[in-house]
Amino acid sequence: MSRQRSMEAILASEHVSIGELVRITGSRYSTLKHYTEEGMLPFEQAEENLTRRYRREETVARIIWIKELKANGLSIPQIKEAIDAL
Amino acid sequence: MMDLKLAQSFALVALNAQSSLYMTNAKKVSLRSMAAAVILEAYLEGCSTQADNGLTFRQEVLEKSSSTLYRETVLLPLLHNHAVVQGDLEWWLKKASMLSNKKLKKFEIAISDYLKAMNVLEEIPSLLGSDMYFDSAGVEMKAYRSHNGVYTSITENLRAEILEEGTVTDEIICMLWLLRESGCMHDFFSRNELEKINTRMHDLYRSNLWAKSLFRIQIHHGIELGIKQFLQMKSLFVKTYAGSSINFFFPFLERSQAVFVETEAWFDNSNKRLNTVLTRLESYGHEVKVIERGSIATIQIDNLLYDAMPHYVMMRVPIQGVRLVPKRPL
Repeated sequence: MSRQRSMEAILASEHVSIGELVRITGSRYSTLKHYTEEGMLPFEQAEENLTRRYRREETVARIIWIKELKANGLSIPQIKEAIDAL
Repeated sequence: MMDLKLAQSFALVALNAQSSLYMTNAKKVSLRSMAAAVILEAYLEGCSTQADNGLTFRQEVLEKSSSTLYRETVLLPLLHNHAVVQGDLEWWLKKASMLSNKKLKKFEIAISDYLKAMNVLEEIPSLLGSDMYFDSAGVEMKAYRSHNGVYTSITENLRAEILEEGTVTDEIICMLWLLRESGCMHDFFSRNELEKINTRMHDLYRSNLWAKSLFRIQIHHGIELGIKQFLQMKSLFVKTYAGSSINFFFPFLERSQAVFVETEAWFDNSNKRLNTVLTRLESYGHEVKVIERGSIATIQIDNLLYDAMPHYVMMRVPIQGVRLVPKRPL
């Protein structure tokens, strides 16, 4: 049996799955998947068919930053440039 | 960010945009699945004991302080004044889903009151009440609306877990089964995604014991969901895998409806017409967000997406307005 983690457990853990990122940031899955595929959200994956794991603190901070940049009118390519310049 | 139990999460998905005053066919299907969700929730929480010949629920479980009224409204009729009742998982799920209309209503009140107290569910005037014909008929129509953030969190988490590679949790396996049994799969997944889900469910059925025991159980009523739609959808969405022992098909139940909202003035510009309709919907208590403007705009009303098409109907004089047509991921 594999049970869903409580919010308390998610917020205390170092790594989270994309589903858990959806829960803690209120973002859409398709949005986070797109950011991941564009290389804007770094992840770790032990093997090809295993769950992608994201570092919770830095990924949440990155998502909040991307949202701010989007709210300021930047396009995804411009946001990518900003991320690459880090 | 809150932790919701299985039946609570599923209820927020299943009750959203359903009539709160009348027992419609769509709501009855949702309530049957919600009652089954209560059994699954209690099972996942360890409120039952498992033996070789099935699950045992005891009356004393309901006497615990953590027990909720909605759980009692489902389990008490099944326990039937017995201290202990035993049956396999299929028996419990089928029994729960076959509660009488009166007991389903009682359960609906219990769970909706619970969710309202958590501020994640509310009653608003139904969108259908904004339709010109209903509006002028003076019929009171109300509908449930789930909290937008919580609704999105539940549905997007479900999408993420099943569409991504990797482990699928027991709660998501339950949610998938509940969505299938209540005919809601097509509200959340596109046709391509459904094909992927079909494959994933096959894999889970072969590799996961919980999925194996749950996916083979069917509680949906063919007549309620529409046998014709069953067969149509089956041919459209299902690919039977050679050598597999189970054929997953996703029944479909239409839960939303097209609405015509008239404008009081005659506009030469579709944008102005749309703005008038949006103002009207907001004045009726709906949460409206324009996703995309254009000749056919996409708008989100109370968690659901609609295409807003400029339209007019011919009465004695032509009446201009906007027709809202439910938009699916299809």
